[in-house]
Amino acid sequence: MKKIGIFDSGVETPEEIILAAGLIPYRLFGDPTIEPDKANEHIPPTHCIWTRNLLEQAIKGFDKDIIGIIGAHGCDRTNREFDIWIECLTIDFMFFLNSPRKRDESALRFFIDDMKELIIQLEEHFNVKITPEKISESIKKMNVIRKLLKEISEFRKKMILKGSEFHALVKLAQQQNKDEVINILQSKLKELKTKEPFPEKNVKKVLLTGSDIDDTEFIKHLEDLGFHIIIDDLGVGTKYFWNTVDENEEPIMALAKYHLNKPIYSTKFPSYERFEVIKNLAEIYNVDGIINIAQKFCEPILYDHPYMNKKFKELEIPYLFVEVTYNRESYNQLSTRFSAFAEII
Amino acid sequence: MSKAGIKSNKMLNATMGLKNIMGRHFLAIEQAYRDGKPTAWATSGSPVEMLYAMDVQPMLPENSATVSAAQKYSQNFIEIAEEEGFSYDLCSYFKTNVGAVKSNADMIKGGTRKPTFMLSTDVICDTHVNWFQVQAERFNVPHFTIDVPHVVSNTNQRQYNYFKKYVTVQLYEFLDFMQEVTGHEYNEERSREITKNSWDLSMVWQDIYELRKVVPCPISTRDTFGGLFPLFTMPGLKEPIRLYKKMYKEAKLRVDNGIGALEQEKFRLMFEGIPFWYNLKFFGTLERWGAIIVYEPYTYAFSKYMNPNVTKEMVLNQPIEAMAELMLSFWYIYDFETRVKKFEETVRDWKIDGVLLHNNMSCRPNSCGLYDLKRKLMDDADIPCLIIDADMNDPRKLNETQVTNQIESFIEILRQRKKK
Repeated sequence: MKKIGIFDSGVETPEEIILAAGLIPYRLFGDPTIEPDKANEHIPPTHCIWTRNLLEQAIKGFDKDIIGIIGAHGCDRTNREFDIWIECLTIDFMFFLNSPRKRDESALRFFIDDMKELIIQLEEHFNVKITPEKISESIKKMNVIRKLLKEISEFRKKMILKGSEFHALVKLAQQQNKDEVINILQSKLKELKTKEPFPEKNVKKVLLTGSDIDDTEFIKHLEDLGFHIIIDDLGVGTKYFWNTVDENEEPIMALAKYHLNKPIYSTKFPSYERFEVIKNLAEIYNVDGIINIAQKFCEPILYDHPYMNKKFKELEIPYLFVEVTYNRESYNQLSTRFSAFAEII
Repeated sequence: MSKAGIKSNKMLNATMGLKNIMGRHFLAIEQAYRDGKPTAWATSGSPVEMLYAMDVQPMLPENSATVSAAQKYSQNFIEIAEEEGFSYDLCSYFKTNVGAVKSNADMIKGGTRKPTFMLSTDVICDTHVNWFQVQAERFNVPHFTIDVPHVVSNTNQRQYNYFKKYVTVQLYEFLDFMQEVTGHEYNEERSREITKNSWDLSMVWQDIYELRKVVPCPISTRDTFGGLFPLFTMPGLKEPIRLYKKMYKEAKLRVDNGIGALEQEKFRLMFEGIPFWYNLKFFGTLERWGAIIVYEPYTYAFSKYMNPNVTKEMVLNQPIEAMAELMLSFWYIYDFETRVKKFEETVRDWKIDGVLLHNNMSCRPNSCGLYDLKRKLMDDADIPCLIIDADMNDPRKLNETQVTNQIESFIEILRQRKKK
C-alpha cells in the first residue's frame, strides 16, 4: 500500500483523512545515526537538527512507497522548511496543512476549511473519493488504536511495561498499516496482562516532556541510568492517543475539535497551558520528577523552559531541563547530568 | 563638495529630523501614561494602525531593542535574560527586551513599560508570540495574538481566500478585544484618517526607494536603517510623512544634480536581513571600496502597501479586509518561489552588482532559505552573493574581522566581473 509521509513537529495531521483516501499515514522520524550533510547545504547548522535530519533522508530518497508529503504547521521550522522540501524533492504531492496555532471557534472553522482543502487535493491528485463515511470508518479505527495505546500505557504505571518498549509501540502505530497496528497492540495487551511487575527498587519514576523525542535509544539510555518513564507528554506518546474523536459528530468537525482540544503542545497558543497538562499528569502518576528535553535549537521548548522551571519549583516537583544534540554519541556526555538528577530525586 | 553645494557621502539633512520624530514617539508614550490612556506592546508585522485608530498608544519592543543595541546595552540585557534560563540560541531582540525590562531600563536605553495589553502575531515568526506570552505573564496583562496561516510556494488561490477570511475574522475579534479592555469604541472616521496617513507614509517611502534606482544612488543605509523607525511605530500619524517628504525632496535634489551618497559609486549592493544594530558603522566601511547598499528588503518590506491587489480605495473603504490581505502578502515572509522572483526583479531594477545575505542567528525564519536563494541567484541569474554569519542584536555573534575579509574578497570578485 502506498504511503503519505508526514512532516510534523507535533501530531497535528488528521491521519483519518489519509486513511480514507486509501493510503497509509507514515509519520517521518529522524535517524540519529546519520549526519545531515546534504541538508546542511540548504539549511544553516544553527537551525533545528531534527528537521535537518529529516531533510537529509528526504534528499537521499525515501522508501518508494511514499508518494506524497504533508507538512503540518507546527514550529517555524516545519513552516519555513516546507518550501525547501518542495525545492529538493521530486515527489508530486506536497501539501502544507495550516493546523492553527489558536484553539478557538475561528481557528476551528479555519481548520475545517484547511482539512476540506486537503481532501480536495488528495482526491484530485490520487483520483480517489474521500467520503464522510470513509472518514467515519477511519475515525473508528483510529479510536481503537488510541484506546489500546492508552490502556497499554497504564502498564508503565503498573511497572510492567518499560517506557522504551511503549515508545517503540507508539512509533510503530504512527508508521504502520493501521489494521496491523491494531493486531500488534491487541497481542501486546494480552501479553502484558500475563506479566508480573519488575522490581521497583532504586527506580526513579519520571515524566518525560519537551521536544518530540523519536529515538527510542534515548529512552533506553535514561532507563540504563535508573529512570522509568512512567508517563510522558510527547507526540510520540500520550498526545497521540490521550483523547478520542467523537464518533457521533460530522467527521470533519469532529476531527477539527479533536485536534484543537487535545493536550496542548508548545507550538500552539497559549503554550504555557502545557504546564497544566504536565502538572496534572505528574500529580496523577505521582512522579518523582520531570525531565524536559529540548532538541538543540528547538525554540518552542526553549521559550517555555524558564516558566516551567519556575512553576515546578513553586510546586516543589523536581525538574531537569537538558538540551540534546540529535546524535547518539552525545547521549553519554549527558549521563552525568541525568545521574545527578536521579540522585537528587 | 559637489554641484550646487550639495554634499555627498553624508546622511541626508532631513534624516537628522528622525531624532525629533523618535522623541515625539517617546513623549507620546510618556504622555499616555500620565493621562492614563491605554497602551499596547505590538510586534512588527502587526496592525499598529488599529491601535492608533482605537486611541491606544503603541510601543514596539523590537524597536526598543534596536535602541539598546545602538546604545551598546544589548549584550548586557541579553546576558541577564540568559541568566534567567533563556537559551543562548534564542532571539536576541527577545532577550534584550527581557533584560531591559528586568533592569527597569528607561526608554532611551531601550526599556519598555508595562502596557495595558499586548498584541502579537506569528506572521513573521513564532518568537513574537512566545515573547509576548513570556512578558504578558510577567506583567499580568491581557495578550491577543493573531494567527496568520503560512503561505508556501504551492498555496493556491482557493486556500489564499480562506486564509484571508481567517485573518479578517481575527482582526474583527481584535477590535472587540480592544473595546473590552479599553472601553474605547471603534470610530470609522478616525480609522479612515489613520489608514490614509499610513498609506501616504508608505507611498513616500516607496518613492524614496524609487530614487535609489538612480546611478549614483542618492541615499545610503545611513538614512534607511534609522529612517525605518516610523514605519514600525507611527504608521497612521502625520509627522513622519512630513519627515519622509523632506527626505524625498533632498534626495531628489541629489538625483537632479547627479550627486550620489558616495562620491564615487563603484558597486551597488543589496543587503538581505536585519542589520547589526550594535555596529551600524560597519556598513559605512563598505564605502572604502566604493560600495553602497541601494536596497534592503527589510527596510522596504515595512512600507507594507506593496500588494497590487490592495488599492488605496480598498484600504480606505475596507481597512480590515485590506489589512488581512497585506498581512498575508508581506515582502518579509514571501514563500521561497516568490522570494527568488522578487530578488531577481529587484537586482535588475535597482542595477545591483552583488547581494549580501545575512544569516542571522537570531532570526531563523528569515535566514531559512538563504542557501537556496544564493544558489538560485548565482546559478540561474548569475548574481554574485555572499552569506554573512552574524546576529542583529548580539555583538558576541559578529566576527567583524572575518566578515570584513569576506566582504573584501567579495568586492574583488565584483571588481573582476566589471573588468570583463
